[in-house]
Amino acid sequence: MVESIVLTGVAIGCIYALIGITYNVMFSASRVFSFTAGTLGMLGGVLGSLFIAQMGMPVAVGLLLVFVAGAVFGIITEIVAVRPVLKSLDQHLYVLSTLALALLVQQFTAIEWGTEARPFPRLFDVARGGFDQQFWLPMLACVAVIVGLELLYRYSLIGRAFLAISEDNYAARALGLPERSLRMASFALAGVIGALAGFAGGEMLLAFFGNAPILTFYGFVPVALGGMGNNRGAVVAGLLLGLFQQAANFLVGGIFASVAVFTVFIVVLLVRPEGLAGASLQRRV
Amino acid sequence: MSITRRQALGSAGAAAIAASSLAKPAIAATEPIRVGYLPALTGPSSSTGIGINRGIQLAVQEINAAGGINGRQLELITRDTQSDPTKAVNGAAELTHGQKVSVVFGPVNSGESLAVVPLLARATTPQVHPCWVDTLTDAQKYPMCFRNAPTNQQIGAAANRYVLDVLKRKKVAVISDTTGYGTASVNAYVPMLQAKNAEIVYQGNVDAANPDLKPELLRMQSAGAEAIMPWSVNAGFLSRIINTRGNMGWDVPIVGQTTLGSGQTKALLEKPEFWAKVYPNNFRNVCYGAGGKLPERTTAFVERLKTAKIDMGDTLLWWIALGYDSPRMIAEAMKAVGTEPEQIVSYLNKLKGFPGVYGDITFSPDQHNGYPDEEVVMVEANSLKDGAFNLAPGYSS
Repeated sequence: MVESIVLTGVAIGCIYALIGITYNVMFSASRVFSFTAGTLGMLGGVLGSLFIAQMGMPVAVGLLLVFVAGAVFGIITEIVAVRPVLKSLDQHLYVLSTLALALLVQQFTAIEWGTEARPFPRLFDVARGGFDQQFWLPMLACVAVIVGLELLYRYSLIGRAFLAISEDNYAARALGLPERSLRMASFALAGVIGALAGFAGGEMLLAFFGNAPILTFYGFVPVALGGMGNNRGAVVAGLLLGLFQQAANFLVGGIFASVAVFTVFIVVLLVRPEGLAGASLQRRV
Repeated sequence: MSITRRQALGSAGAAAIAASSLAKPAIAATEPIRVGYLPALTGPSSSTGIGINRGIQLAVQEINAAGGINGRQLELITRDTQSDPTKAVNGAAELTHGQKVSVVFGPVNSGESLAVVPLLARATTPQVHPCWVDTLTDAQKYPMCFRNAPTNQQIGAAANRYVLDVLKRKKVAVISDTTGYGTASVNAYVPMLQAKNAEIVYQGNVDAANPDLKPELLRMQSAGAEAIMPWSVNAGFLSRIINTRGNMGWDVPIVGQTTLGSGQTKALLEKPEFWAKVYPNNFRNVCYGAGGKLPERTTAFVERLKTAKIDMGDTLLWWIALGYDSPRMIAEAMKAVGTEPEQIVSYLNKLKGFPGVYGDITFSPDQHNGYPDEEVVMVEANSLKDGAFNLAPGYSS
């Protein structure tokens, strides 16, 4: 039982963490919570299945096309649902605009792909075993994204520009950084990470249009718990969420597992509204 | 005698009225009889409609080729509901008010029928539909609405009979997803099982998107379940139950909803052999019995389908058979009593044992659910061939 809780819990937790990072990357560049994060995850699974299982493409080509699709959807999100509402950020219109885009894509997927879950291909042709690829693929993807982002932010110029924008976009613009292009690049990067989350977790979650709202929901929990914009917090909170959810599945079971997860979520936010790892915001006067 | 202009006009008018009233029945006797038809031919729930449509088209061709109904051809006025209740309602309104059809067959999905049945009842148009939701027929509330298919009660009762009476298992685990259909089914079937002295060792509703059902199955196993009864139309959810059972090496039978035997569920199985000992609902007349043979009436029907080059491999035989029976039953009523709504309803109210390929249909003034209980059976999920399944083991054929 413990083995099952840890394996499935950590694997699912990694998917939640990746969706959390997707939220964060978009948030850092724009101060907007884009609720298309879960839709990106869903698209990663559906498009992966479409390219590899249905159209018979090699895994590497399929993955590359999924990345391209994720990046394109990220950029479309920025242009259609984020840019028009940036001027009135305090009215939180982005909640409506990004949710509307997410629903649009979800319904379109339901119509074109179907409302039934379809199989996601086995990426490596090896026999199923205890520590199966459906568990280690999301873990590997999560590690790759954490390391990749760390390298990007620390050692590359564009990564430093991302950080500058997220720290203080007025100052960054005053220094001559192209804010709009950097924001679009961030959304493309978030698109790739979100699509990778769905692709790596495809075998576990299946290629199913209904994964979009679930990932949007459960992916938001690590963001809220880990502190907004804090990737390390999102990873820790994502893993904890996965493990806790799986433990609740075993201990209380069925529909009560979700109740347990959200009870803990609410209690944590009551005690620490800034999130477990977030620093409380100091207001400039 | 002089004839005034007024008299001349008056008599001409009278002659014209007489002529038109004489001519009317002559035209009416030859013009086609219009039957409304509301299938979902496109959209997410269209697989049923597409299968049913093949049978309907064949039946109407056969009826018309044989001279129609007392010399009049049967004309199907089709409105595709696109699997959308709103479009089904619009289609129904147009069929009754615009097209003035004599009878409506459909919609063929419960979600659409829930919207359409009250509307047709108000329009006093006779309706025949094959949807399973229990409340879709009510001889008092909807006196012109008839169902030529089983109800959810009959579907659940057949699965319960198979588990308790045929497999002789007493300890049962009942699981569903969290949809309205899933929870309503569990709430309806658990008391039915208990009334037959079954012991419910596990009862649960689980989110269909939950990727890991091992905790639930372990709970069933440790409670001593001898049969799992899942109620869901979600292939992802059902395949996870079957896969988890297979990976646990547990050989408990899984008995329940027809989707257990669908191609979508099959596509999601980790290993083909996991599909053994899975028994979904089906219907005795369209199943292979001992020796792999269909009943005589059905064999003849399949021959006709083959002659007409109608494909059975990508759909289910019971859908085609149901589609084939429906216009024939309506035509039989019209042949006997004409096309007036009240006459059709009073004929159907006394219909006894209409010999359909799908099943023998019987109605009474108080009972508008026409499908016989004993023809709802369970089949082997992994035996699908040409749209039909083998009867599950244990039934006397």
